[in-house]
Formats: sequence, C-alpha cells, structure tokens
Amino acid sequence: MVLSESDGAGGSAGGALDALVGHRAPYLIGVRHHSPALAAVVPALLEVAAPEVVLVELPEEMGEWLPHLAEPGLSAPVALSGAGRDGGGLAFYPFADFSPELAAIRWAAEAGVEVRTCDLPLSRHGEGYRARQAEATPLADALRRKVTGRDHDDLWDRLVEAAAPGQTPEAIRRAALYVGWALRTDGSVDPFDLRREAWMRQVIAETGGRACAAVIGSYHAAALLGGDPVEQEPASQREVITSLVPYTFAMLDERSGYPAGIRDPEWQQAVLAAAGDPGGVEAAAAAVIVRVCVRVRELGHPAGPGEAREALRLSVDLARLRGLPAPGRSEVVEAIQTVLTHADPLGRGRVVAKAAGDVLVGKRTGGLAPGTPRSGLAPSVEALLAELRLPGPDSRDTVELRLDPARSDRDARREITLNRLALLGVPYAESTSTAGVGGTDAITTRWTATWTPATAATLPVAGLWGATLPLAAAGRLRARRADRDGHTAGEVVADLADAARCGLDDLVSDILADAATVLPASASLTDLLAALDLLDRLRAGHLPGGNHLDDDLPRVLETAAVAQLDGLAGSESPADARSLVELGQRHDAHGTGLRLAAALRRLTEDGAPLIAGAATASRVLLGLLPPTDLGDRAASLVDNATTTSGRDTLRGFLTGCLAAAEPLLESPEALTPLLDRVAALADQDFLDRLPTLRAAFATVGPTPRQRITAVVEQHTGARIDTGHDPEVMARWVAAEQAALAVLAAHGLRHGQFSAPPQEDDREPAAHQGITPVTRWRLVLGSRDDVGGETRRYAAALDELYGMDRGEGADRHGVGGGRGTPFPNTRQWAEELGELFGARVREEVLAAAVEGGRVDAALQIDPDAVRPSVDLLRTVLALSGGLPEATVARLRPLVARLVRELTAQLAVRLRPALTGISLPVPSRRPGGGLDLRRTVRANLATARRGDDGRLIVLPDRPVFRGKARRTSDWRLVLVVDVSGSMEASTVWSALTAAVFAGVPALSTHFLAFSTEVIDLTDHVDDPLALLLEVSVGGGTDIAGALRHAKTLVTVPERTLVVVVSDFEEGGPIGPLLAQVKDLVATGVSVLGCASLDDTGAARYSTAVAAGLVAAGMPIAALSPLELATWVGDKVRA
Amino acid sequence: MTDQQTTSGRQVEPAEDAFRDELAFLAAYDSGRKPPGWLLTPRAAVTFVMGSDALTLPDKVAGLPARMTISPKFVGERALVERAVITLAGERGLLLVGEPGTAKSMLSELLAAAVSGTSQLVVQGTAGTTEDQLRYGWNYALLLAEGPSARALVPSPVLTAMRTGGVVRVEEVTRCLPEVQDALVSILSDRRIAVPELSGTDDATVHAAPGFTVIATANLRDRGVSEMSAALKRRFNFEAVGPIGDLAAETALVRRQATAALDRVAAPFAIDDIVLEALVTAFRDLRTGTSVEGWAVERPTTVMSTAEAVSVATSLGLANAYFTSDRDPLSLLPGHLLGVVRKDDPTDAARLLAYWDGAVRRRAESGTHTWRRLWDLRDVLDQ
Repeated sequence: MVLSESDGAGGSAGGALDALVGHRAPYLIGVRHHSPALAAVVPALLEVAAPEVVLVELPEEMGEWLPHLAEPGLSAPVALSGAGRDGGGLAFYPFADFSPELAAIRWAAEAGVEVRTCDLPLSRHGEGYRARQAEATPLADALRRKVTGRDHDDLWDRLVEAAAPGQTPEAIRRAALYVGWALRTDGSVDPFDLRREAWMRQVIAETGGRACAAVIGSYHAAALLGGDPVEQEPASQREVITSLVPYTFAMLDERSGYPAGIRDPEWQQAVLAAAGDPGGVEAAAAAVIVRVCVRVRELGHPAGPGEAREALRLSVDLARLRGLPAPGRSEVVEAIQTVLTHADPLGRGRVVAKAAGDVLVGKRTGGLAPGTPRSGLAPSVEALLAELRLPGPDSRDTVELRLDPARSDRDARREITLNRLALLGVPYAESTSTAGVGGTDAITTRWTATWTPATAATLPVAGLWGATLPLAAAGRLRARRADRDGHTAGEVVADLADAARCGLDDLVSDILADAATVLPASASLTDLLAALDLLDRLRAGHLPGGNHLDDDLPRVLETAAVAQLDGLAGSESPADARSLVELGQRHDAHGTGLRLAAALRRLTEDGAPLIAGAATASRVLLGLLPPTDLGDRAASLVDNATTTSGRDTLRGFLTGCLAAAEPLLESPEALTPLLDRVAALADQDFLDRLPTLRAAFATVGPTPRQRITAVVEQHTGARIDTGHDPEVMARWVAAEQAALAVLAAHGLRHGQFSAPPQEDDREPAAHQGITPVTRWRLVLGSRDDVGGETRRYAAALDELYGMDRGEGADRHGVGGGRGTPFPNTRQWAEELGELFGARVREEVLAAAVEGGRVDAALQIDPDAVRPSVDLLRTVLALSGGLPEATVARLRPLVARLVRELTAQLAVRLRPALTGISLPVPSRRPGGGLDLRRTVRANLATARRGDDGRLIVLPDRPVFRGKARRTSDWRLVLVVDVSGSMEASTVWSALTAAVFAGVPALSTHFLAFSTEVIDLTDHVDDPLALLLEVSVGGGTDIAGALRHAKTLVTVPERTLVVVVSDFEEGGPIGPLLAQVKDLVATGVSVLGCASLDDTGAARYSTAVAAGLVAAGMPIAALSPLELATWVGDKVRA
Repeated sequence: MTDQQTTSGRQVEPAEDAFRDELAFLAAYDSGRKPPGWLLTPRAAVTFVMGSDALTLPDKVAGLPARMTISPKFVGERALVERAVITLAGERGLLLVGEPGTAKSMLSELLAAAVSGTSQLVVQGTAGTTEDQLRYGWNYALLLAEGPSARALVPSPVLTAMRTGGVVRVEEVTRCLPEVQDALVSILSDRRIAVPELSGTDDATVHAAPGFTVIATANLRDRGVSEMSAALKRRFNFEAVGPIGDLAAETALVRRQATAALDRVAAPFAIDDIVLEALVTAFRDLRTGTSVEGWAVERPTTVMSTAEAVSVATSLGLANAYFTSDRDPLSLLPGHLLGVVRKDDPTDAARLLAYWDGAVRRRAESGTHTWRRLWDLRDVLDQ
C-alpha cells in the first residue's frame, strides 16, 4: 500500500517515518507479538541488516530461556511466563510460529548471532500500567474511517497484515513502523512505557556500537531513536520465577481469556505458510471456507459447495474493493457471516460460529525440546506448600487443619491454596464441612490434607492450565466455562462461588459480568435469591475475591427477581410464597419500586390464593396496604368458605399470608379482623372451617405460632398456652376414653346419639358455645386444655397436623388432643365423617393423601367422591411409589376420577374441535382461473365483437383456491413431568384423550424430564397413560423438542404444544435454537405455562420471554382455550 | 436519510430522482470496470450510499459541475455497505434483515438506484401477495378474448427486472405466504421464468439479462408470520442492519424528520433539545437493554425503533403546536412512552415501570433536572 496518501498528516508522517526506517543503530523491526506478515519476513530483513546482536522485547529475567526457545526440537505454541513466588502473575509471553520474536530468535540461533533481552526486568516493574481513561485518538480514527468505517477495527490487521501479501519485506517493515508511529502520535504515553523504553535505550547503549537489530513493539520504535533519561524504580526483592511451558492454540486465541493472544491462530498459521504470496493466502481462504462448510454440515445444517463458492467470491471481491492484494481475516469472517449465518444469531448463527471457531482457532498443541529444564506448576506448588507449612513431597502424613481465614493471614492464604488445588482436581486436600452456630455461615473451615503420589502425578497435567497455581486455577475455571455451550444460572452461581473461594479476582469480575446477563435472562426466583445471598457473603468479606463488587449487580438481580414475580401467579408451593416475602423484605431496605408494587397488586388480584396471600402480606409489610385490609380480606374469605373451593381458597390465602408470619406479627392489627371473624362464627360454621384453618396454621413453625398465640391471647384476653404437661393431658384423655368405653358398654356410646353418618348434607353432631379461646386452641393445635367434646375435634385433626415442622419443632407432637391415637385409618375416617360431615371428611382425607398417607386414599369412596383434578393428582402422585397390590386397590378410584373428568372435559371441548370446513372458490387472484365458474359468473357481460365473435368480459373472475387437506394434522403434546404430578400433567392427559377422539387429528403424547418417553400408544386411555407417567428428574425441554422434531413429517400441518414451567435445566441457548429450528420449518409451536382451569401459572418468566422472542408464544391456557387454538389452526 | 427536499408534488421522491445529480456525477467520476448492467462501479456505489468529501471530475463533462460533495445517506457501517454492493455485483440475492425502523428499505432503495438506476421495481410483501406478483399475471379480458398471448401477459416487477437486467426489490419478504415466497427460489437459481401457457412460442421462457438480482428486506421482529424456507435462505446473502449507533446522530435524525413532518402542516417544531434527548435516550436504553451509563435495562418485546421515536417527537410537536403550551412537552413524554411500549404485550408496561425504577430514578437521584421531572411524573405510568 502507499502510505503517503493514507491521510492528511502524510507530509509530517513521511519525515518521521523515514527517520525510523532509515535508523541503523539499532536497525528497527517494529512488530506485534503475533504477526504472520512480519514473522514471514523477519529472517529476510535480518539477513539484509546482518546485525551482530539481536535485541528482543522480553524482560531480562527471561534471558535464560532464549536458547531453549531456539531449539529445533521445540514446537510452537509455547509460553514464557514470569510470576512472583506467591503466585501473582507478572508477565506472559505466548509464542507461535507466527511470532516475529520467535522467528528472530530462531534466525539468530541458526546464524550464530547473539540474542539479548532488552525490556525492563520484571523486578523493576513497580506499579506497571495505570488504568487510564480512554483518550481521543483522532489520527487512528481518521485511518479507521478510511479503511473500513468500523469502530474498534484493528488498524494493525488492516494496514499491515491484510496489505502484506505480495509486498517486499522492506515495505512491510515500513507499514508496521508506520502503524506504531500513528498510534503513538495519537495519545499520551504511559509513564510505565517511558520507563521501559528508557531501559531499552540503555541496553542498546550497552551493546557498545556493535551492529544491532531491535525486534520490538512497533509502538516503541520511535522512542529508541533517543529520549530523555527516566528515573527507574529500584529493583524489588520479590523473587521472580520464570517458566517455559507448552501452550495450545485454544488458549492462544484472544477470546480464551488468556493474556497476549490473537484471534484465530489457525488462520494466522495458514497465512504464515503462504509466506506472503497473494495466491497462497487466497488458497488458504478457500481451504478455511470449505472446512467451515464441512464442519457446518457435520453439525447438521446445510452448507453446500454453492455457498462455499459464494463465500470465497465475496471475500476475494471484498478484498479487491478495499484495495487489498488478498482476503484478510476480516474479509473471510465477514464473507462466512454474510453467506452462512442467515442473520440468525440463535440457531444457525451459533452453529456457524462454532464451526468457524473449530476451523479458525484450531487444536494445535506445542511441546518443549527434550532437555529443557523442568519448570511450571509442579515446582511452584511444591515451593508454595513448603512456605505455607502444608504437607509437601517429603511428608506423607495426613494433616487435619482448622483454618480461620478471617483472623489469620496465613490461614487465608492456605484456604485459597487448598481451594485452588481442589478446583484443579488435584487430589490433595478435602474440605470437611462445618456449620456455624444456628445454621449460619461458618467462619472457620476444616480440611484434611495429604501429599500422595497421585498429587505428584496430577500436578504436571494441571500445569497445562498455567505455570503457577493462581494462573492454573484461573485457566481451569476459564476452560470449564469455555467448554460449555452457554451457561445456566446454576452454573454461573457455582462458578462465581468457586472463583470467589479461590480468590481469582479477575475471573470474579468476568463471572459477575456474565451473571449480569445470564441470571436475569434465565434464572428462577430461587436461583436469583441464592445468587443475592452469595453476593451478600462476598460483600461481607466471608469469601475472598469480593473486591470487584459494585452496587449495580444486586440491584440488577433484584430487578430481575421482580420480573420473575409474574411467573409465580399460579404457584401452590409455600416455598415460592416465602421467596416472594423474602424478595419484598429485600426491597424494603432501599424503597419499593413501582414495578414491585404493580406486580404485587396484580398477584393479589389474579394470583392463585396462596400467592395472593403472600403478595397481600408483602404489600402490608412494605406499607403499600393498610394492615387491616389483609385481615378484612382473610375474614371475608372465612365467610366465603362454605364450599370446597371456597375452603381451598381460604387455606391457600392464609398459608401464603403466614409465609410472612414473623414480620407480619410486628403489626398485630393485621390479624384483628380475622380473629373477630373466627370468634363471631356460628359453631357449626366454625367447625366446617376448622380443618382448613388448622391446615393453614400448621404450615407455620412452632415458634412463630407461639407468637400468634400471644397475639390471640392479647386479643381475647384469655390465656391459651399454659404449657400443660402432655403426660397429664394424656392421662385426662385416657380417663375420658375409659368413660366413653363404659358408656359404650351400657349401650350409651356417644356416637349413637347423633344421626348415622350417611348423607353428605347430614347435620354433624351439634355443639354449642365453643368459646373463642377454645376455637383458637383448636386452630393453633395449642398445647392446652381443650375441654370436653372439643377434644375429639382436636384429636381428629392432630392425627393429620399434629407433627410440627419448621422453627422450634421438636420430635414430640404438639396438639390439644394429643393422646388419642386412632387405632387405624378407618376409625379416623369414620370419626371425621361423624364430626365434620362427609364433604369435609373427604377434604381432610385428600389432605392426608397429599401428606403421603396411602391408607387415607383407600378410605375414599370411589362412587361417592366428587371428581376433581386435584384429588386425582394427589392420588396419582402417591401411587408412583406403591406396591402393585395397593395400586390395584386404588385403581377403581383413579379409574372413576379419570372417566368422569374426561367425560366432562369432552363435553366442553368438542364444539371447539368440530366443523372443519372445506375450501370455497375464491375471488382473490391466485391459484388458477376457474374458467367454468368465471364464464358462468360473467355471462351477463357477453356480447358480440365487431368481427362477430362472442366476447365475455370477465368482470368478476373466479379462482381456484388451493385445496387444503383437512386430515393428517398432527398434534404433539410435550408434557413436562419433572417437578411433581402437576395439575397441568393431569389436564394434558385428559385433553389428549379428547383430542385422540378427533378423526382429523393424530395426537402424540411425550412425557419428558431429562428423558423423553413417548406415550402415544396410551393416548386414548388416559388412565393407562397417567399410571405410566413417572414423575421426577431434571428438565430438558431442548431434548424433548429434539424428539418432537423427529415426529414432524409435514411441518405446516404439525402442532407442537409444550406444557412446562419452563425452568430449563440446561443452558438456554440450545433450547432457543431448537425452538427457532422448529418454527423455521413451519411447525406451529405453542407453550403452555399451565394447562388447567385457573388461568394462572407458575413458570420462569425469563426463559419464557426468550422463547416468545424465538417464536413460541406462551400462555396459561385452559383445555378449552387449547382446543380452540387447535381448532383454529386446523381450520385456518 | 436525507435533507434533500424537492418541490414537486410528491410526498416522497424516489432515490434516483432525489439524487439524480449525484448519480450522474459519480457515473462520470469513476469510469473503472463495472459489472454487467451496472450504472456505477462498485466503489462509486459505496460512495453514493456512504457519502464523501468533495470529489473532482477527472475530465470536464457537459452539464455536470466539476466538483461535488456526495451527501451521506445511510448512517452505519461502511463495511456492511461494501458487502452488500459486492453481493449484488455477484448477481446474488441480498437479504437485508433488521428490526423495524432501521432504514432497511431506504438502503435497498439507494442500492437499487445506484446499481440499476431505478428503485421502482418493487414488490410489497403482504399476506395477500400472490404468486403472479412475483412471476406474471394475465389481463383476463384479453386472455378470454384472444387466448394466451404475449400481449395478454402482465409482467411482474420481477419479470421486468429480469428482462432489463435490473435490480428488483421485494419488501417485507417474510410477510408473504411460504408458497408464494418459494416462487423466488426457482427464479434465483434458474434465472428464468417459464410461461407454460405460451409454450411453442419465443415467449415461453423469459431469461434474466445480466445484472438482474434481488434485494429483499425482512423484519426480525415479525413473529407469527411466515418464516423463509431453508432453500430460499440459501439463495440469499444476509446482512443484518442495526439501529443507529450514536446518540447525537439519532437525536439529530429524529429532530430532522419530526421537523419535516410538522413542516408539512406548516407548524413550527418547538420541542427542546433536552426533551428530544431524553426521548431518544429512553428509546435507546429500552432498545439495547443497557442504559447510557451501562446499567442493565429490561427490554420490552415491542420494537423501540427510531421511526417510532420520530412519531413520538412529531406527536409532541403537534400537541405543542395545536394545544398552545399549557402543558410542557416533557410531561407528555411518559404517557407517549407507555403508548409505544404497550403495543404488543401487556407485560411490557411492567418493563417500563422497571425502567423508571432503575435508570430514571438513578438519574433523578444524581440530580439531572429533566430526569428528576420524569421521575416525578411516574404516577402517569401506574394506573
């Protein structure tokens, strides 16, 4: 290229450049550490210059390795590194065949010329570079505009590398010096660079006038012409360990995260091999493009010779347009992108990027020449262990360590060292877990450490990751991250924890950057709260490596967590309610956001009862709602709890509220309306609701329940909890039992006084005047004297709720009626019926089934039971782990439930699925002209022309619409069974059964967790299907979709419906790619966040948002809405 | 996007008329080798789109000025335009994809004008586009009266471009039904259209003349419309056109276009730069998912295109012109943003709230007057 016309500054540049080029003491070869263009011409340049000494830009300490670098037995890539004894990395110099310095060293060894290092010794580095503000770079910007018009384009690549083929060595040297000069002229020079350059000048002076050539960074070239002396830092006492280790192209690639790399080493190697011949470079481009296409095909996407040809043409023509002799790296990459990726960053884009990475980065691994001294990780670790007084090669004893990193500096370093070795997979030390007081984070840690032969054997292997322990640990973690095809939220959190534990500050900041993108996009609320917790610990200094925390990330994660709230609407899990409350509490610290307020309001209004309760409680806690509103709502739900669904709502709402029990009790007035309401209920009404209330309050641990008790006491003015000795109570109960027995013996058994338990609507035994205090004793299961007849109620409920969970729970049951265990479930069930009536009995039994009591399920009468999906679901969930005989006994119940529910559903769905219409002739142009119809429709315009022929003017032409096939539609239901037996699973099976009855539709049913089971054979028999489904395992939606894709034969007539909570277990990238693929083939894809009658779903909004963007609409649907959608699609 | 105004009675002037002088100048300026059928050399075509400093004609040509500055028309990467031009020079199909409002159509118009001197051969893709708009149709009266003949055949823009060796543009190709799109596959691979009705005559096959090629545009955000088939994709080179990279450039563009829109109704555009900058900043933050300061912002699914920002700016301007300033334009901004964001997905409104919670609030805390005012206006958003 002709430099003088490159820019307006050409005149002044010319003079300075001539001075650089013409300089002879030393002869300047300005390079970059990796540059095939210069590496190819360095031998020729040196041959001409014929120096007696060659100076290379390496620190003095590296000098000892120069002979080993020049060995013919050494195969690049290799890396020189210098590090402190404590493991801090100081400098890193990877070498490949295309490194000009290596080329110079090799030339000198062959020509018998002396080689010297000329850079500042590591021991004098001092502070090194300071972090600097970006400065204006007018000259470089002007050049850039001229060359490609892209920001951040690599000037060196454009002006030196791409322009080099076909140029003389001297022209290339000139271009390289020019770029260095331009970059230097642009901004101020760092003081550290000034010190380095002063040192170089000093080394040059020391050569004492011998003919000398300097192979240095082209940026520094101008400084070697002369300059002012600079005061040097004194040499530090810090011991520097240098090492020469084999390296790989994968690590050399700039994107690997290792320092001093270059993009696409395999391409650079190919350019070097072309040795400056434009035809050779073009051939290399052709080879690379063809190999990328082959790799894309191997990865399962089409990329034929036609595309390869076009990509090559594009790259060659682009080079010509830009005035380059041959395509450079940029042209090749641009052409591959334009022709192959189809502007689809998710599906094809990822595949092409992977293929290009495989081909351009390459897998080359270097090796040292035989006889090179041992260096690297193993010696450095041995020295480090000795320094930390940890067992080394000379002692084989096992050592128990208790480390206190917060107090002792050495313990902190030991802790980090042991963690790093563990991360590297070196068998040396094991952590024995300790827990702090009260389950908090432990401050001290325990380890068992032994030096074994395995340790000695693994260390050199781990040495490939880096020459010192911190470098190797960082390298290992980086490689682990690079191997993944995208990170999942869980992996990011685990990586962060590892990096923090190992004190890898650089990586912590990298991972934090990842966390800021990955977590908001894919993490569930639980993951986010876990990550926030980890960040809190980092901030508090419980883990090393927390120096890079800023305030942004926690805020970002909290924002993301708020975005997740909408996905909780349908949740029925108390854990979600607790997460919701926890999130609210977090926000309380720095003010409630608008969005949180809006989300909580929506949840209060539309959420499932449990979530609505938790949201209401959160709003009260955040001051968004007056406390009494909560109580009023709860009280009104108590009033409404006259039906089964009303009682379910009450139970859910109270359970949700009570997830916030502890903070809520700070303002007891929230409970007042509820207390009043419960006190004011008629006895019978209270008893109807008692099991529900008891169930809700049983979710609270004993300690908060004590506090609730206190509030109730205060309110009612009577003491509840007197803490009677359970043994005394047991004796009282025993006495009562005995009395009852006597009564029975005389034919006066109490039960006979009430009506026999037969009808649903029968009056249960009437009891008058249960005092408010007693009522709350019953509700809370208080350890108190519950008198007389009410004890039976307490006992009946204790059977189910007597065992405590949560904070303060002991192993002894707590409850008002303790001491009257029922001999068997049948008696209990009878007692329940007698006390509460048949309907409530059924509810309590269902609750017992949910709690895992199979015997309770056997007590449910199949013929009398009211079919509900909830009951079916609980029974099914239970039947998974049962022996065949018990399942057989449950079968009538399940069979009846399934039959009834399917029949009910079919009645509702059928209208939506019938009436598939036939195509009609169309007036819209398209297809062929329907001549007969057209003539018939336009007969009125027929007239005779001048020549006597009959002319019909087709005013209203009629066309043949494309005949649509109405059969052969295929519906694939892909149902997530990973979590538990969800209502959605049951509904899916029932809906599938109805769809299976539609003749125009063939219905497939895939149940998936991490495995996919095709249950299509059972699709018309929901009973068999449901019993076949086995619940549990992880979630691999991408895998399920991959299988679904194999079922697609005619994409336009295939519907794929995914029923899942979209909490994908793997990385989200492949999932999105699968969806994109399916959508691209023309399949109609629909995601159901839930398939039930509530319309509220529990799902990961982050993943769902990604899927929606990829083309899969997601909604919470009822089976009817799904049927309507299917009907619409088929009829379209 | 340009400021050149014409006085003719058209709302919008096609590129080859609006820049007639520049095209003629460039044709005379660069007399290097041209691909067959091209009006300009590839280098001159790039210059036409990207603009340049003053150029001087090598030899005097009658009717042309000796020096001319080519106006920059496309705000974006030069490398992208270079690739696009080279793609066309290879007579391969070019597909410009990008979010709505990224000036894809304008770029395709400019390229067509620069390559073949006309941007008028265009097919607008819609769900109602039929195959005869891509191949050929019939004058049915003539067809019934005379039977099939070359006279009764109604050529599509594609057929015309094939005959003349020009560039045909297919706008919004993904909005066409898949079977209609697939008509392009055979055209792009065989480079001819068979007319079976005229078999036996010379007109039975129409061959593409040298220079014929297709520029198609497609929206990335058009979900639920027809995806392109893999076969069709393989016949195109893809270029993704991104939104404008620079805040100042985008603000200037919004101001220019909003002013032009108000000019048409003879009203002055009197919106403060501060308001416009806040508007464009909000759009950019929500579009990119990162605020100017580098804070993360949750992106709404709605497209926050520059064109959309222009329409908000125009509305603000109109409100200011017609309802003389009893309310300052800034107070209307949150409402307009909500209107833009709510279009697609109701949960987007929640994302706007999150934006207010995050970026707006933090800017307000740091004390900028405009943002403090916007933070005070938050109640508008939360109904």
